[in-house]
Amino acid sequence: MMKAGFLRDLLFAAVVLIVLIVVPFIFTKPSLRDFLIYVMAYGLLAMSLNLLVGLTGLVSFGHAAFFVSGAYMFGLLMQSGRVSIPVAIFVTVLGTAVLALVIGAICVRLKEIYFSFITLAFQMFIHSIILTWVSLTGGDQGLRGGIPRPPFFGIDLSSGVSLYIFSACVFVVCILIMRQVWQSPFGYTLRLIRDNPNRANYLGVDIVRMKLGVFILAGAMASVAGILLSLFVSGAYPEFGFWTTSGEAIFMIMLGGSQLFVGPIIGAILLRLLEHFVSIYTEYHGLVLGIVILAIVLGLRQGVADYVVEYLQRRKEAKVPAAKEAAFVKERVA
Amino acid sequence: MNLEALASCLSSSACAVTQISTALIIGMLLFMVASGLSLIFGVLGVINFAHGAFYMAGAYIAFFTYQATSSFFLAFLAGALGAGLIGIIFERFIISKVYGKDILMQLLVCYAIILIFDDLVKIIAGPEYKMMGMPDVFALPPLEFAGGFVPAYYVFMIVASLSIGAMLWLAIEKTRIGKIIRALAINPQMVGALGINTTLLYAAVFGVGSMLAGIAGSLAAPTRTLTPGMGLSILIESFIVTVIGGMGSIVGALIAALLIGFTRAFGAIGFPLFVDGIMFGMMAVVLIIKPSGLLGREIAR
Amino acid sequence: MLSVQNLDKRFGGVHATRNVSIDFPEGSLTAIIGPNGAGKTTFFNLISGAFRPNSGKVIFDGQDIVGKSSLEVVRLGMTRAFQVAEIFPSLTVTEAIMATVISHLRKSWTFLRRFPVAEAKSRTEEIIELLGLADKAGTLSRNLSHGDQKLLDIGLALAMEPKVLLLDEPTAGMGPDERWRMIGKVQHLWQVKKMTVLFIEHDMDIVFKIAQKIHVLKYGAVLAQGTADEIRRNQDVIDAYLGADHHLSAAVGEA
Repeated sequence: MMKAGFLRDLLFAAVVLIVLIVVPFIFTKPSLRDFLIYVMAYGLLAMSLNLLVGLTGLVSFGHAAFFVSGAYMFGLLMQSGRVSIPVAIFVTVLGTAVLALVIGAICVRLKEIYFSFITLAFQMFIHSIILTWVSLTGGDQGLRGGIPRPPFFGIDLSSGVSLYIFSACVFVVCILIMRQVWQSPFGYTLRLIRDNPNRANYLGVDIVRMKLGVFILAGAMASVAGILLSLFVSGAYPEFGFWTTSGEAIFMIMLGGSQLFVGPIIGAILLRLLEHFVSIYTEYHGLVLGIVILAIVLGLRQGVADYVVEYLQRRKEAKVPAAKEAAFVKERVA
Repeated sequence: MNLEALASCLSSSACAVTQISTALIIGMLLFMVASGLSLIFGVLGVINFAHGAFYMAGAYIAFFTYQATSSFFLAFLAGALGAGLIGIIFERFIISKVYGKDILMQLLVCYAIILIFDDLVKIIAGPEYKMMGMPDVFALPPLEFAGGFVPAYYVFMIVASLSIGAMLWLAIEKTRIGKIIRALAINPQMVGALGINTTLLYAAVFGVGSMLAGIAGSLAAPTRTLTPGMGLSILIESFIVTVIGGMGSIVGALIAALLIGFTRAFGAIGFPLFVDGIMFGMMAVVLIIKPSGLLGREIAR
Repeated sequence: MLSVQNLDKRFGGVHATRNVSIDFPEGSLTAIIGPNGAGKTTFFNLISGAFRPNSGKVIFDGQDIVGKSSLEVVRLGMTRAFQVAEIFPSLTVTEAIMATVISHLRKSWTFLRRFPVAEAKSRTEEIIELLGLADKAGTLSRNLSHGDQKLLDIGLALAMEPKVLLLDEPTAGMGPDERWRMIGKVQHLWQVKKMTVLFIEHDMDIVFKIAQKIHVLKYGAVLAQGTADEIRRNQDVIDAYLGADHHLSAAVGEA
């Protein structure tokens, strides 16, 4: 049961990775690499949030809490000079998972809009701590002094190219992991919770535990996104944990579509492309972005990828009765 | 953390009076904005994430009207009514399309509106800070209270906000139209079945809600700098107030707004960097202990 | 199998359940009937752990389950289907039932395999077959007809291999023919699975036809209990619920 689906996804991931690595060598503008790293970091954040929003129906307004904690934990660990990059990554992900456990244990018991608000409250609380604890975090200036990148296992991340390739690999691996979660029995049980939590409870599903489980997983993934971004900008800033970052992740999900697995990535690409191109022609990219969003929401009523999928499905269903009728007629006539 | 500064301020009556009056006006502005938010949520079931935009609209309209007419009261009226009108248009053409939909769709629509409004303001008024300055009508010597000084305008703000809040409360609790609106919040189909034009009512309620935000903006204009981003900060705080006070409760909004006002005012002295943390901490505590807020009703949707 | 003793529940001023005691023998098919507001659904809520009674005991398979959460009660083997079909709109019939079977197998926390899962396959197909939904197995639950959604709701409850199954108005919202088909399926499922089944029903013809035992509730208390014939003749029940119906009196007269 596992083999066929997993192998197919693995193949697809390999292709994506190869494309990601090769493209900056063909179109050599360094800004393309930068663009892609931003898309990967924020795309990963949005994908991790979609484990909550699209898969489980948990609308978190405070997901960037784990993004920013990933960035700062990793940055601080590396600045201490005592650990290698892989160890720092491991400790950061674990540490953020513990944070997610503590926060999640309180939040997942609340329903709907209250859940959304309390996740926001926790995120902004953490943001406040980062701003206030100047001696540790550098306050509103962010972590100063850059993030050292000592070589590990013979891999040297000091060049832009190698950092990019490393980020692409980490990105693809994380996406594969999330894909496995989406397609696993755990993932389908989360869909039960999304569609009808009360019914799921009456079918033996421990809703609170499952929500906490996916909350921790999503938080851990978000921390990896934070690590990628902090490596790239060689620092960590409080803005990573401001509510607007969580908002951006939500918009990427809504733009791209929450029901299709890759929807959030499509949303991330769309959002970045829009911002990039609009700012070339006009400084009023808020106006343009706002109008585009309105057009999508009021026109399509759902994310772009979701709309395309539904459109294709409707066309398929329309063809079937036509085909049946054709066969019916053929039989009669012959 | 600067708790000595806080303690010394509290012991000095001059400082205490200044801070208390600051706390009161912050609280009153938040009260106005949050009442609008609470009203819109209580009756329409919509969480109006774009509420800050109406606050900003009220402030800018008041500013330009004052520039043109030099009359504060005209400016105030223009700001309030202008925000209300924009609110009605917004409700009719945009928000009504996402009634009953997924909260994320509502959020997205409101975010789009914020983006558009912020840039429109930049285009029309320019991105620089603007200052309205104290209107001549209020260019009075500060009033003396218990050893400290309170600007005359502050007294006006407090009195005006409380009066408007009281009128709002009376209108909802004691008048017939208020009763219809409360019924609308509970069972819109029934109200419609009674032959009442619910569409008109929805627009009117949204208009009143946004007008309250506009009132806050107009009142704030003389005391704050106007910038295209001013809606955002008040938005987040008004949400904290609404959550703590309870969605759908005017009195709750007042209590919570005062709480936040005092936290801000005294926090600026005692723990300036952590004020947000305290506010969000309070919000979290309320959500854990009584999610519907201090005086809120359970959201039965 | 299930023994309810002196169950009592108040909601503020409303005395919803008054000192109800009923025994449900293993493998029985019992109907709970009564006028609207009699507390039938409240009764189901109390025994399934949705609400906690003020007093009384619910002895399920030898242990008192009062105070246990609805989740614990489900895991002990009591499941229910609802008056308004509670399903999972975005999942297909197969997906919904398989996910439930996996929950029953306590394998919901499996990360390293792919859904659909081999060991749940045969059970899923068996249930779909039993429900008669085989030709709609790939249909999205939200696209099913009302009757099929009610059937799916029962199927989901069945996928947990319950010892006791509670059906709240299984034929609600159906026309006469569809009702008999549905109740026929319920009876068939009951016979095949040898479960203890309790069902709430308003259609008296159906109740008298298939229920082994009938309990009548009124204002939260047990008004009468007995076989179909006994209930039909019971004057209290006729006064409170059945009415001085010519058809019924004639039938009684004939019998």
